[in-house]
Amino acid sequence: MIKFSRYTLVFIGIIVASISIPSLYWTIFEKVPKSVQVYYSCTIDDFVLVDGQNRVDTKGNSYTNDEYERLLPFLFFRQLIADGEMPDSIKGVLVEPSAIGRASSFFRYIPRKIHAPQPALYPMLESQSGKVNLTMPDDYFRINKRIEFIDSKTNKINEEKSSLFTAAMADKGFVFPAAIIAGIPSNRKSCDEGYFITDDQGSLFQVKMVKGQPFVVKVDMPEKLDIVYIEAVDVRSKEFYCYVFTRNQGVYLLMEDVYELQRLPVDGFDPETMTFRMNSDLFNKCITVGGDNWYKAIAIDDMYDVVATTEDKWEGLYERTDGKVFAALFPFEIRTNIDDSAFVNFYFKLSPGFWWVIVNVISVFAFIFVLRKRGWEIKSNIIDVIVVALTGIFGLIAVLFFPNKFAKR
Amino acid sequence: MFKAIIYKEWIKIRLVVYASLVLGLLALINIFLNVRHDILFVDAANYWYAFLFRGVIYFGILKFLPFIMGGGIAIAQYFPETVSKRIKLTFHLPYRENTLLIRMHAFGAGMLAAIYAVIILLFIGGSAIFFPSGIIIDSLLTLAPWFLGGLATYFLVALILMEPMWLYRAFYAIVSAGFVTLFYKIDSIGGYKHLLAFLALLTLLLSCVVLFSGYRFRKGEM
Repeated sequence: MIKFSRYTLVFIGIIVASISIPSLYWTIFEKVPKSVQVYYSCTIDDFVLVDGQNRVDTKGNSYTNDEYERLLPFLFFRQLIADGEMPDSIKGVLVEPSAIGRASSFFRYIPRKIHAPQPALYPMLESQSGKVNLTMPDDYFRINKRIEFIDSKTNKINEEKSSLFTAAMADKGFVFPAAIIAGIPSNRKSCDEGYFITDDQGSLFQVKMVKGQPFVVKVDMPEKLDIVYIEAVDVRSKEFYCYVFTRNQGVYLLMEDVYELQRLPVDGFDPETMTFRMNSDLFNKCITVGGDNWYKAIAIDDMYDVVATTEDKWEGLYERTDGKVFAALFPFEIRTNIDDSAFVNFYFKLSPGFWWVIVNVISVFAFIFVLRKRGWEIKSNIIDVIVVALTGIFGLIAVLFFPNKFAKR
Repeated sequence: MFKAIIYKEWIKIRLVVYASLVLGLLALINIFLNVRHDILFVDAANYWYAFLFRGVIYFGILKFLPFIMGGGIAIAQYFPETVSKRIKLTFHLPYRENTLLIRMHAFGAGMLAAIYAVIILLFIGGSAIFFPSGIIIDSLLTLAPWFLGGLATYFLVALILMEPMWLYRAFYAIVSAGFVTLFYKIDSIGGYKHLLAFLALLTLLLSCVVLFSGYRFRKGEM
């Protein structure tokens, strides 16, 4: 029992050491990773890559700040109008500020969005109240065996409304409970489109409230899609309702009114590890998918056909000096927070390569030296030796902080 | 005789137990008076909204209470024993030393768990007046690591106090500080969901670590 309690402490010591020492290392030595913003310029029909103060196109021409603003007239139209530099028409199309504003949208997806706590309840707004402003309702809904509306004033379920919506959803083939519920739970939007909900079988539905009555649409899918994330948006162009991310089956837009899923040309997109951006303007949409040390940009026209692509790759974390030194010193690290998740957890990360073996061997010799000095036998401390061999510096600290006095006699 | 030992433990910690209960009750009264007041002023719908979509937690005051209670009971129970090594008297009783220490420790941990249970049950009862089950469950997921952290604090402070050597007390304190911090990393609602089971297991394992420094104490490690 006492031995067991010591190993518990050694284990806790290893956890604490492998969290705090690497965290200290990164705080001191981590270098700022490269990050590139990609835009598509309609004036030169090429990508503009922005990395800090560096602005270049794919042919290697670099631009000053003023030139850069002229390359992206839709992004900087206010500045260009102020400077008197805004063209009246581009590619023969008359460009007005209102049209530019309507066509512009920006969206960003990061893996953290699918690994985040979800709210327990959602408000269902009235989408056609006849009033100019949307108002927040007094009740909130949840979807388990049925959809239930809970009145916040009384904290009781509104049975009548719950039955009405449950029946309407079941009628369209909704299989309870829901898997993903996505909407814009706010009245600060141009109009209300309710919620985009996947059911227990993965089918996609839109559910909203029109004049107090349920309005349910089942979306036809071209094939069975394994949807992992939906984000409803309020784009001023009224082109689409939401972004739909699937597990390795592509990214889609759910087109407004027609309820068709428009596939975006980003094959092989993995929502667990990759980021996704989409900048839209009057002529093009520029999609950038990326990871830690690479990106691929795709420009598409308003018919969703690819007009240009570019990509780049640079040194990854463990190819840089700070990462190489880390991987040589420590066999692994535990992180409690990572960029890809909003949950606290013990994220175990094994160091690549085998340089850390050397430090582990040194740790073992250091430990044996201490044992010798104290006059303890190696044989009776063999488990400690193995722990140090496997966990390196972390294990060495843990076994020295919690000494093995039982083996002394 | 165990009854007498338990009575001795009770005398040591009773003040802290009462203080913890009063502190817990005051915190709960504060929480629900605030909730009632705010709901009157901003409407329940807006108050729910702040919790669901803005991550505003109405029970933030509870965060470090379990930690303070755990540390307090451990100090009240073990600090007097280390003054002029009084616990040696207990160890001279005709019982196995380990069994005695385990009983003492189980009593302290049991009292702490009972205080936590009272606070959590009252918290659930109060929340049920104002909030639906979904919000209550998410609230419990959010405060669970704080209470587990309080238990871990009790076990680790006992370990540190029973350790006879100052150098190792410092080592234990470093590891303990690093470990207890893990329970209080972020306040986001449900943010510990995936780690709770493992933290609970580690806390359970920690329940017996006082035996380690207790052993070193008995063997006269100086």
